[in-house]
Amino acid sequence: MIKLENIVKMYPGSGVVLDEINLHIKAGEFVSIVGQSGAGKTTLVKLLIAEEKPSGGIIHIGDWDITTIGSSVVPFLRRQLGVIFQDFKLLPKKTVFENVAFALEVAGTSPRKIKQIVPPVLHIVGLGDKHDRYPNELSGGEQQRVVIARSLVHRPKVIIADEPTGNLDSINTAEIIEILKKINEFGTTVVLVTHNREVVNHLRRRVVTLADGKIINDEKEGKYIL
Amino acid sequence: MTVFGRIIKFALQDIFRNLGLSAMTVFILVLMLLSVNTLWSLDVVTREAVALTKDQVNMSLYLKSSTLDKEVVELTTFLHTVSEVTAVQVVDRAAVVESFKQRHQLSPDVIQALTELGGNPFGPTVVVKAKEPQDYEKIIAVLNVPEYTKLIESKSFDQHEEILGRIQTITNRVESVGLGLTAVFAVIAFLIIFNMIRVAIVTQRTEISIKRLVGANNWFIRGPYLIAAVIFTLVSIGITAVIVYSTVSWLDKYVGVLFQNGFSLTNYYASHMLYLFSLEAAAVLVLTVASSSLAMRRQLKV
Ligand SMILES: Nc1ncnc2c1ncn2[C@@H]1O[C@H](COP(=O)(O)OP(=O)(O)OP(=O)(O)O)[C@@H](O)[C@H]1O
Ligand SMILES: [Mg+2]
Repeated sequence: MIKLENIVKMYPGSGVVLDEINLHIKAGEFVSIVGQSGAGKTTLVKLLIAEEKPSGGIIHIGDWDITTIGSSVVPFLRRQLGVIFQDFKLLPKKTVFENVAFALEVAGTSPRKIKQIVPPVLHIVGLGDKHDRYPNELSGGEQQRVVIARSLVHRPKVIIADEPTGNLDSINTAEIIEILKKINEFGTTVVLVTHNREVVNHLRRRVVTLADGKIINDEKEGKYIL
Repeated sequence: MTVFGRIIKFALQDIFRNLGLSAMTVFILVLMLLSVNTLWSLDVVTREAVALTKDQVNMSLYLKSSTLDKEVVELTTFLHTVSEVTAVQVVDRAAVVESFKQRHQLSPDVIQALTELGGNPFGPTVVVKAKEPQDYEKIIAVLNVPEYTKLIESKSFDQHEEILGRIQTITNRVESVGLGLTAVFAVIAFLIIFNMIRVAIVTQRTEISIKRLVGANNWFIRGPYLIAAVIFTLVSIGITAVIVYSTVSWLDKYVGVLFQNGFSLTNYYASHMLYLFSLEAAAVLVLTVASSSLAMRRQLKV
């Protein structure tokens, strides 16, 4: 599903941030990526969503070689992925419904289909009764669930989440992780970047540990080892 | 709904859900347009006033009654060769007497005295017009040769001298004030535009990055901003047109008194409106589109 071969990323001023990363994630896997601050986790995510280009190496997602795609193709790649970040990225002047619908509107989905698809997705994340709220009328946990709903709504094959629970308390964190697990059970590949030891240990799934831009540990049923 | 329909929908949502910012943008654009139009009107009125006054200024050469017709022709021919002279008009003796009588219609003693004199005591008058008020000095200088001074009884220019001087200083002052105002407006316009661009960048950058994240292509990202820019332009031009029109028709009551030749700002605007406002619309559109394009430039790190 996702294949990174000899990935090197250098930033001017920061030198080598990712160093010869080789990583293979199969369809349907739930992979946690852990590592200390500055280890290169977010950089890895940016490479996966073609926000940044690697300095060397090849990245395959599905049938795409995303290291060579042009910028006009990037929107199509993004529509295959669900992306979730720590700082909730919602459009402030759109309602919950409109924020989720937006991901379908830009892909050209018909209004009739949008009306069919969005409500059940909002129901899954527990926001069935908050369609018309604006983001500033929601709690942090609720906002993050809207982001998840938006990343789910076009049925992506892969969900990439960079510290999705970083701003949340333990109850909200547990709920978000439950949702991600449920999505994974439906067959979606999940890549979760996290700092949260409890989350990782509780999941008992594959854990990839990064340190100084290198993979230092990769275990099938791993623990948070830092 | 088509892509275009959605883009328009998003543009309208952006405008109405950010009503404060939209109103502010329109307000600033209207202010800018008003200052441009003020400057424009000021320029038109000044130019008209200066032209009118210059046109009214002339110099009369009152010739001696002994002057022969041949000498008058010689004098006018010479005047035509002076490059500063734009027009020469001869008022013959008969006409001079007529206008004298006309002027003194109500004073029977003067008319009486004229009749007692018998014959025509006046010589012809030559009216000279020059391009610029200061040219009269030169014309007087070239006429200052015995050949012509012996013909000329008196010149009316001496009485005009002061007025001409005053017009000159007023014109100069208006020009320098106008220039100063232009400079001030230019600086203000620049600051406003600069700030608009900064606000646009700050508010739009996060939104753009979000839209890219969910796979919106350039049409969905640029489109609404461009449509919004067009709408802001049209609305601010419309508001400005209404304000300018009502101000100008109010002002015309006063301007009309100053200009006896029927000059009217309303008419001026009516005949130049299309040109003026489409020029301004183009400028504002370039401005708004440029500012959102600048905000669009890819500094969009997620
Ligand atoms: N745009 C950039 N330009 C230069 N250096 C960068 C850039 N982005 C990241 N870096 C550097 O790359 C290194 C890895 O950053 P990255 O954001 O991937 O870390 P991280 O593992 O996500 O850390 P955290 O857990 O704090 O989020 C850091 O040393 C950072 O300073
Ligand atoms: Mg990070």
